[in-house]
Amino acid sequence: MSIYLPIAEMSVNIWLILGLGGGVGFLSGMFGVGGGFLMTPLLLFIGIPTAVAVGTEAAQIVASSASGALAQWRRRNIDFKLGFVLLVGGIIGAYIGTDLVKVLRRSGQFDAVVSITYVILLGSVGTLMMIESINTIRKVSAGKPQVHRKSGQHSWIHGLPFKMRFQRSKLYISAIPPLLLGTFVGLLSAIMGVGGGFIMVPAMIYLLRMPTSVVIGTSLFQILFVTASATIFHSVQNQSVDVVLAGLLMLGGAIGAQFGTSVGEKLRGEQLRFLLAAIVLAVCLKIALGLVLTPRELFSLGFAAGGH
Amino acid sequence: MSFDRFSSFSAGRVKSVIVAILFALVLCPVVTSPTDAQERPRRERPPVTRGELVPIKPPPAPPAAAAEQKRETEAEKPQLLPETVQADVSTRNVAVTSSFTGTEIVVFGAVDNSRQDSPQAGLYDVVIVIEGVPGRVSARRKSRVGGIWLNTNSALFDDVPSYYAIASTRPLDEITSDATLIGYEIGFDHVRMTPIGNDGRPLNVADRMPPAELKQFREAVIRLKQKDGLYVAEEYSVAFIGRSLFRATISLPANVPVGPFVTRVYLFRGQQLLSQYNVRLVLEREGFERIMHEFALKRPLAYGIMTVLLAIMAGLAASTVFRKGSH
Repeated sequence: MSIYLPIAEMSVNIWLILGLGGGVGFLSGMFGVGGGFLMTPLLLFIGIPTAVAVGTEAAQIVASSASGALAQWRRRNIDFKLGFVLLVGGIIGAYIGTDLVKVLRRSGQFDAVVSITYVILLGSVGTLMMIESINTIRKVSAGKPQVHRKSGQHSWIHGLPFKMRFQRSKLYISAIPPLLLGTFVGLLSAIMGVGGGFIMVPAMIYLLRMPTSVVIGTSLFQILFVTASATIFHSVQNQSVDVVLAGLLMLGGAIGAQFGTSVGEKLRGEQLRFLLAAIVLAVCLKIALGLVLTPRELFSLGFAAGGH
Repeated sequence: MSFDRFSSFSAGRVKSVIVAILFALVLCPVVTSPTDAQERPRRERPPVTRGELVPIKPPPAPPAAAAEQKRETEAEKPQLLPETVQADVSTRNVAVTSSFTGTEIVVFGAVDNSRQDSPQAGLYDVVIVIEGVPGRVSARRKSRVGGIWLNTNSALFDDVPSYYAIASTRPLDEITSDATLIGYEIGFDHVRMTPIGNDGRPLNVADRMPPAELKQFREAVIRLKQKDGLYVAEEYSVAFIGRSLFRATISLPANVPVGPFVTRVYLFRGQQLLSQYNVRLVLEREGFERIMHEFALKRPLAYGIMTVLLAIMAGLAASTVFRKGSH
């Protein structure tokens, strides 16, 4: 059964799209990640134009983060003040990012830039996660107790000006690092069609030293609003958000996530991280090969500005 | 095409449309197909003009310039009347809706004053060209930069038909001379493509890239369009089914860009072009497709906000539906 996508201007199989949404939703429910970094490359593999894949995926992440953010808000796990600082940066980043997409599309380098960004980020995050999970698995099997980082350690971050007090996170730090972090993640969100949780969460824990209890809630809050603004910016700047495609992905994702969550609850944290790292590295490898291997067709037809 | 309907949308109307669309989408995307049928006041279609006989002399007659005047080229010869061709298409208005998966167009026509005794006689050759909207295309070529394949060279062409199909009774080179094919832009080698600069103006020959390179880009455009099913050539696909009656089936794939199409039908006898007849057909977005596409283009901000609201509602709806019983 096929459906014609009004913005992508192509006919796709409904079940294929629902299946993709369901599969990625399953994984994101299982690992507690947004899944944008898997979905955007998959959309590209099935032939959705890069700009449409990125813009539409932003809309889908809005849906998947909305329910999570609401649940975290109910449990009072969101540091709104810190979230707001992140968000200011995030919206600036998303705005610059969508503008950059426009420029890159015209110059014909958008696809390559998206691929390279994916390879760098997925490669580094995947490798770090893989090493960490293997170490943990080894330690657990050797029966040694896990060493937790101590809070309250000082770093270069504490020397920066514009200090603000974030009561909920029990932090008194400069507003500059969260602002820059927000901008960076917003930029990635706009260019890669991801929520950016895989950068945001480690950065909040290790860089800002936020208490783990508010990390997930605050990052979901930031992701929700940044992807929402990215969706709007993409709609205005690039007309590249396909509402029908987004709707199908949301439906599939919502169903898949339910099954993923219950499977995820049965696995241990480090096992989950190992599996996730393996998937991240596989996606990274696939994109890297696309950049490095000699393509069968050297030519491509591109986006021509000002066509009638 | 007119977008007046949308530019005159009032805020209240936008709101009600948004609400309606949100519901339609949240419930189930499959439901969107039936909503297509929801009757909106009929738009005024551009009047479908009849096909037209295109005068053959003087030779190259671009379709745009072909006026409505029917020039009766009555021959001076006393006995045999000159052959002319008339044709039409099975569907003059193709609607692109949510369920559009491509379509087939039957082009049929007749040779007036046919002199052949049977369909098998093979006295005449017919070539049918269907051309989509002319537009800009940028072709890019990758090369290896530091181990990575990047787009390095590019060429910009204007007036490139979005779709180009040729059906003929025989291979083109057997039907007529190259000069005629070039003059009437028949065949992939002669599809119109104007090299333009980044400012959108046609390039002088001196400013263009070397001819050999330009040819590579040109061929790449044709090849890639063929791969997408947008440029199609089928020899032997026009069949005579009577002394004068012929037909051909041409398929329009689902990714055909919408717009007005021109169908040109050429009649040949003994390498000579005898007659040309043009018919128009229009591919239009209809129903839900049209609403969404125009909404996204004409009111991008409202469209973006609607998408976000839809996403939040879908997210919250999913969590309420699936949380039943667990909390």
